Amino acid sequence: MPPSADVVLSATGIARRFAYRLVLANVDLTLRRGDVLLLVGPNGAGKTTLLRVLAGLLSPSAGQVERPGAIGMVGHEAMLYPALSARENLRFFARLHGVDGRGRVDTLLGQVGLSHRADDRVGTFSRGMLQRVAIARALLHEPGLLLFDEPLSGLDATASRTLVGLLQDFRDRGTAMIIVSHEMERLGKVATHMVRLAAGRLGELESLAGRDPVAVFADLMRGDL
Amino acid sequence: MGALLRGAWAIAVKDIAIEWRTKTAFASGLVFAVLVLAVLFFSRDPTAVSSQDIAPGALWVTFTFAAMLGLNRAFLLEREMHGLDGILLTPVPRSAIFWGKFAANLVFVGTIEAISVPLFVLFYDVPIWLRFPEVVLVIAMATIAFVAVGTLLSAMVVRTRYAELMLPLLLLPFLVPPLVGGVQLTARLLEGRPLSDLGGWLKLIGAFDIAFVTLSALLFQVVLEE
Repeated sequence: MPPSADVVLSATGIARRFAYRLVLANVDLTLRRGDVLLLVGPNGAGKTTLLRVLAGLLSPSAGQVERPGAIGMVGHEAMLYPALSARENLRFFARLHGVDGRGRVDTLLGQVGLSHRADDRVGTFSRGMLQRVAIARALLHEPGLLLFDEPLSGLDATASRTLVGLLQDFRDRGTAMIIVSHEMERLGKVATHMVRLAAGRLGELESLAGRDPVAVFADLMRGDL
Repeated sequence: MGALLRGAWAIAVKDIAIEWRTKTAFASGLVFAVLVLAVLFFSRDPTAVSSQDIAPGALWVTFTFAAMLGLNRAFLLEREMHGLDGILLTPVPRSAIFWGKFAANLVFVGTIEAISVPLFVLFYDVPIWLRFPEVVLVIAMATIAFVAVGTLLSAMVVRTRYAELMLPLLLLPFLVPPLVGGVQLTARLLEGRPLSDLGGWLKLIGAFDIAFVTLSALLFQVVLEE
């Protein structure tokens, strides 16, 4: 990667086992401010496991992860409480982050377009709305790095467009991101780099500067066809 | 320490708020308590066994199984949308999760117990009000022990496939000492024995309180690690 600003993530020699199965093997990754990395690979390659290790939700079996700044994550699950409203959920997590909740929560709900549903229980929300609340949750503490696991999964075209717009805003503000997705048409224009994870091993990072992300994706995935 | 207390408080308030709003575990715990008290009362032969003979056992069976319903729910509410992962992504100390869940579980189990005691008096006609402060002390001490270990074990089984089955299986052996102590002390108090006669049992439950709370708090962080 070209030299840019601060390092927001540094992972060295990451390995992870589940019982006798080696899911990640010797993964090295460094991410800097402004980098947006699309992480692709076949099903079962270890992409979700890698994100969870990078976020600190899973301990690596070997290697280490240095996180100089704050990290936010939007996973497969919303990581919310269905019996609480959107506002209550965000205020709860704001308290845990040590962030003064009220103003920040209302601002974020406005940014994700959910001010009108702030006091409704998230258990009544659609998948797209849950994703937006989850993004607001991930942004509460203004992290320098965001991790997304299949963020467009289950979203309709309108919700997808809204989410892609948000990701572009984050990129423009210099937030680094790692996005697990195969939605090249929508997310290719947001990313700066792409990398393939297969059988737990990370390939070479491919820069997307001046390149068609769909073509780069096809090249990377050729071995899986 | 500030982050620990703040985190524990936020988690306890969140759990209590969710239970207050949904009342799922509370309602089932209460119905269960009424059923157990009634069934045990009506299943005895009144000419052979007086209600006062079976009263302490009935009370503690009720408390134990109603508490298990509540302890099951403590981490199951984290499963639906993986709320626990959201907490683990924050800088809150892992021990704050234990203390917050422990406090919320104590409130839940204590509420079930508080409602069960008048029902117990109604069914079994025991002179509990004469020794009420001592009985409350015994109930509180035994409850602390099994809520502490129950909080730890419910965190352990939450990610397993058969969490609702595993928790009672793992919890029951640990419940035996405080349960036996609770039954013995309640029986002796209802017989009218002074508290000074009960020092041995009180010390036993006190020792289990200290041991279970300390070990549960220390082991909790290991249990959360994946």
